[in-house]
Amino acid sequence: MENQYWRSLAEREQPAAQELEFDGPGNSRRDFLKAAGFVLAGTALSGCARAPVEKAIPHLDQPGGVIAGRAQFYASTCGACPAGCGLLAKVRDGRPIKLEGNPDQAISRGASCAVGQASLLGLYDSLRLKQPLAHGKPAAWEQVDREIAARLAEIRKAGGAVRYLSGTITSPTKLEMIGRFLAQFSDARHVMYDALSVSAILDAHEQTHGARILPHYRFAAADVIASFDADFLGTWISPVEFARDYASRRLPPEMSWHVQFEGRMSVTGSKADLRVKAAPDEILGRLERLAERIEANDPAGDELAARLLRARGRSLVVCGLNDLAAQVLTNHINHLLGNYGATLDIERPSLQRRGNDRALADLLAELQAGRVAALFIDGVNPAAELPAAPALDRAKLVVSFAGSVDETSQHAHYICPDHHYLESWADAEPVRGLISFTQPTIRPLNRTRAVIESLAVWVGQPASAYELIREHWKDRIDWDRALEKGCAEVNVAAQAPRWMGAKLQRRAPAAEGYTAVLYPAVGMLDGRHAGNPWLHELPDPITKTVWDNCALLSPKTAAALGVRDGDVVRIEGGVAVELPAVVQPGQHDRVIAVALGYGRKASERFANIGPRWTGSKPTVNENGRVGVNASPLLALEGGLLRYERCGVMIATTGRRIELASTQAHHTLSVPTHLAPPDGKVRPIIREITPEELGKPPEHAEHHEELWPDDHPYTGHRWGMAVDLNACTGCSACVIACQAENNTPVVGKDEMRRRRGMHWIRIDRYYSGPPDDVRVAHQPMMCQQCDHAPCETVCPTLATVHSDEGLNQQVYNRCVGTRYCANNCPYKARRFNWFNYPSNDKLANLVLNPDVTVRSRGVMEKCTFCVQRIQEAKIEAKRLGVPLKDGDIRVACEQSCPADAIVFGDLNDPNSRASRLAQDARQYRVLEELNVRPAVHYLKVIRNRNGKGGQDHG
Amino acid sequence: MAEVCSPLRLPLIAGRKQPAAVTEDVCRPMLRPPSILWWAGFALAFSLLLMGVAAVGYQIATGVGVWGLNTTVGWAFDITNFVFWVGIGHAGTLISAILFLFRQKWRTSVNRSAEAMTLFAVMCAGIFPIIHTGRPWLAFWLFPYPNFRGPLWINFRSPLAWDAFAISTYFLISAVFWYIGLIPDLATIRDRLKPGLRQRLFAIFSLGWNGSYRVWRHYEVLYLLLAGLATPLVVSVHTIVSWDFATSVIPGWHATIFPPYFVAGAIFSGIAMVLTLMLVARKTMGLEDYITQRHVDAMCKLLLLTSGIVALAYATEFFTALYSGNPYEQFVFMNRAKGPFAWAYWTMVGCNVLIPQLLWFERVRRRLVIVFLLSLFINVGMWFERFVIIVTSLHRDFLPANWSGYTPTIYEIATLLGSFGLFFTCFLIFCRVLPVIAMGEVKAVLSHGNGKGGHA
Repeated sequence: MENQYWRSLAEREQPAAQELEFDGPGNSRRDFLKAAGFVLAGTALSGCARAPVEKAIPHLDQPGGVIAGRAQFYASTCGACPAGCGLLAKVRDGRPIKLEGNPDQAISRGASCAVGQASLLGLYDSLRLKQPLAHGKPAAWEQVDREIAARLAEIRKAGGAVRYLSGTITSPTKLEMIGRFLAQFSDARHVMYDALSVSAILDAHEQTHGARILPHYRFAAADVIASFDADFLGTWISPVEFARDYASRRLPPEMSWHVQFEGRMSVTGSKADLRVKAAPDEILGRLERLAERIEANDPAGDELAARLLRARGRSLVVCGLNDLAAQVLTNHINHLLGNYGATLDIERPSLQRRGNDRALADLLAELQAGRVAALFIDGVNPAAELPAAPALDRAKLVVSFAGSVDETSQHAHYICPDHHYLESWADAEPVRGLISFTQPTIRPLNRTRAVIESLAVWVGQPASAYELIREHWKDRIDWDRALEKGCAEVNVAAQAPRWMGAKLQRRAPAAEGYTAVLYPAVGMLDGRHAGNPWLHELPDPITKTVWDNCALLSPKTAAALGVRDGDVVRIEGGVAVELPAVVQPGQHDRVIAVALGYGRKASERFANIGPRWTGSKPTVNENGRVGVNASPLLALEGGLLRYERCGVMIATTGRRIELASTQAHHTLSVPTHLAPPDGKVRPIIREITPEELGKPPEHAEHHEELWPDDHPYTGHRWGMAVDLNACTGCSACVIACQAENNTPVVGKDEMRRRRGMHWIRIDRYYSGPPDDVRVAHQPMMCQQCDHAPCETVCPTLATVHSDEGLNQQVYNRCVGTRYCANNCPYKARRFNWFNYPSNDKLANLVLNPDVTVRSRGVMEKCTFCVQRIQEAKIEAKRLGVPLKDGDIRVACEQSCPADAIVFGDLNDPNSRASRLAQDARQYRVLEELNVRPAVHYLKVIRNRNGKGGQDHG
Repeated sequence: MAEVCSPLRLPLIAGRKQPAAVTEDVCRPMLRPPSILWWAGFALAFSLLLMGVAAVGYQIATGVGVWGLNTTVGWAFDITNFVFWVGIGHAGTLISAILFLFRQKWRTSVNRSAEAMTLFAVMCAGIFPIIHTGRPWLAFWLFPYPNFRGPLWINFRSPLAWDAFAISTYFLISAVFWYIGLIPDLATIRDRLKPGLRQRLFAIFSLGWNGSYRVWRHYEVLYLLLAGLATPLVVSVHTIVSWDFATSVIPGWHATIFPPYFVAGAIFSGIAMVLTLMLVARKTMGLEDYITQRHVDAMCKLLLLTSGIVALAYATEFFTALYSGNPYEQFVFMNRAKGPFAWAYWTMVGCNVLIPQLLWFERVRRRLVIVFLLSLFINVGMWFERFVIIVTSLHRDFLPANWSGYTPTIYEIATLLGSFGLFFTCFLIFCRVLPVIAMGEVKAVLSHGNGKGGHA
């Protein structure tokens, strides 16, 4: 029996008191826990206020309702550019925190690009308009609607011209709404233009096929690819789709052969089997000669013509110049080769670019003449994107749908801000017959309104976007299924337009002097994301510069001008633009390449980005912006936007800008005056020819293992395979990693000091002579070494090895000696030099709650997305099933359009990663150090000679 | 065994001093008010110290980012300064312990200040491993201590953990050795002071010394034992410091030659610093009779020896790289000699190898101004040696994509100057409050070379 102990007689008399004594504190603790529970529940409930509206349907078979701490995926469509990639938006506790490609959608097929990945951050942009603006002042929607309706009524009565200016719109519902809206007026027109125009392709097809269409290019079906200045892996039309298609054919024995003619060095050129430097004015001549040879069915010693003729119907010629003659020639060649219907689909054409530069020119003339009464501007920024700002002040009513105040919308009488695409219902038809849906993943953060809702109000039949879209697709698709999957196919009774013949016209011979080539940078495109810090801090895949656009010059030209990296040069051709120069190997000597999309008003916000201390320098330039807007060098001539300006002058200014670059111009063979006696090339990038692939590997070195039982790895053993042949350098992985792992943005000054925080970087190496360089892209992240040099040197055990082969960093325990980083042969570790987390509460909503936000003074690095590994393991355990290969997709792997990164269990002999680790092309970087990295690289295949090893002509 | 005395042997102490004169000479500067020169030196040193404190304060408040480091070059001035100051300290221990065991009697004139220099240098050195961390307030995690986190221990495989032990051990032993050696002199001063606070303090710290035979005997046994204990430290501390680099995988660091190379370099730099300090002290404090040409000559010869060892190490590194056939290793040394930091490399070679060759000439060794300037050059050269090892090896390692540069910021320069400020502030205070020459020991060698027989 239990003894009752008592301390005093009084206590013994009153057992209740004793109970009280024991229960008292217990109760209060329970009360506390109850209260805490209520608070927690309250917080969770208030968090639910941002949960998606109940009409959205989560992807696959997830149960309805939000489960705290569990992510839900909503199929959506990327709105970052008109390509219309399918996305899965990962929503945690009611807020989207990561975008992934939707494997079910035909454009993205599970991948995404850097810009798409980064567009997530745009949702949480604190500079987005909180409500509509009327004459620059915040206003209520009712007031704006009333005033616009009144103005429109006047214009209707007076018969004034109404113009709707937009970028490419792929949304059928929106097009229908615009049509309904414009139908109210006697003189109304919808003008679409693309800041990155391919109008000439559409015009050329109008001429050759009688229909203004953009073919749907099928790179996967092409054995021979000839690209004339089309950067289809980087920025041209639909790069994710093209990169996926292209990569699928880059392995022997079915390896395609790709020739690239270009003036600047693009990522596409960097992957070509044969890259020919050609200034834009030379390309037409090359196309003409090629067309002649194809017509004559006689290669006349020309390798490309010979290959194309052998691959009739299995080849593809694309041209990136916005030039009618060049595009007509391209069509002609493709027609002669029988590629229409095979590698160019015009039966179900692409709708990803529909802009009409001629219509734009007409509209600008109308504006100039003051003949436009009302102008609606949707999704474009003509004041910054066009050679000259349109005369907006001559229109009586200018209404902009811009989400923030930009160069154009600041002149608008009314700004009726559109939702961010992650907040809205939308549809898209990127390719005829493929309908891709956008579901809202969060309730609109601000009092914004979808454009179609605004139009519906102005038409006088207010309806929600959901209703409008549902109404549009009623009877045509299985709505629930389509939303769940994110896309649907609809039957279009279409017939491919027939060939009508090409009117070939000769143009003036190649120009003299320098040609300015204005190109879209991989991260910045046309500048619509110029307010996105992730993209500004994304190193350009080729130049590796960040936070600036530059005038790229060939080494020879730079030497002739006496220009070094960072010297400000003045490019004059009617207008003058001053930019810092960067010497770019592989560029044509007459070409000066300048990226578009910079120098935007949206980048003024970055004046104070990054840590502030006495030595810090601003991220913006003297103009208060990031980079310089090169649009004034564009020309709208002959109904086409010209991205090349011939006969420009270049001069030095004597000024310098300190550029920020994550990598200097290093080649694999070190500078000659420092070369070691034997002059060996560092075996970091390894190459192989298709012929060598069959042969056994040269050196199967076997190292005697000193510590055989150091890491037994009885369970999983995580590893990775990175295919250098597939990697295009597109950098989608870099931004995917940044979004997944909460890596901070540090600003230009810190980048200039070489303190970028990206966990994965893409090292770019050149080889060969400077005027004919070959390029290799090498994604580099923590190699999770078995014998990790970082682990032995950390004095506090802050970096340790897991029993699954992960090299783990324990932030809490790290005191920041940086010894581990010094001892890392790959320099994959990143140190928090300052306290980087920002106080922008809105922007912080993008943070992944599964990943710690690091404070200053600690080391960090790639974790192999350990949070994803853990989540998948827990889920498998919960379901009682073994973990399958592919259950874990790390962020970089998930986003890669080229499938260059494969993560998996090396202990599972059937996993994709372990099979690739046994591949004949496998090697490990710096394996001679015996650090035993867990990342296996696959050699670059140099297919210079192509299949069969024929000699080139 | 009694020493054989020869009239040919030069006296260690000039001026045919009597013991009382020694006491008088050594205590005089302590007991009179400081000179203008002292005040000027102190003001300068203390200003530098304050500047350093401000720089470090700002750095700790803001982040290590205020230094010029980057992802590739994770250490530069911080660890350079650390190794430099640890190296400086070595001469003190060498002189006080090893030369004591080898019965080098000339050491008696310089050992006290050399040991003080050791202590202050180790203090300066010890600051850097703490402040170089990203979170200096947690730097105590480098020490193993019982805790409730598991318990969570340190990584005993990490050379930085060994460093923590090596440096703290070194500081403790040096401090004890120095203090024990001070006791007879503290008693002497105690006896000369008027009653007051100062006298009471000296009385406390002289531990009741009464100069009796028993006390002297115990003292000498203890001193001998401590000298024996301190001796291995001369070799071990810098060996362990060199392991910070030698155990890594970075070309230019990963070298088995590092321990002897570092120890020789440490003694080289330490002796140079002793010379720098002694030549000034001798002039300003009127100690020409105690620190004689003979001392300078002996130390110059030591400099010449260690300079030779260091030069051999430099050459061996190149040979090893060439002979290894390892392209990374070869590149590092080509890059040192011809790359962006070639100026630092050739400064190092010039100061540490070429300039000390002048010491072969007796005429140079007798010109104390030249010796003083030479010692300054060697100090500079040895600082650059550590800078070259750390920065040139890191800034261009295996993957060319990682290659970067390094430029110090004003905070790093201020911190370096601040460490000199701390060192000289401490040293100047030491000159004022404690006897700079070990009176007890000097008195024992007064007759040396004076033809009156010696002491054991």
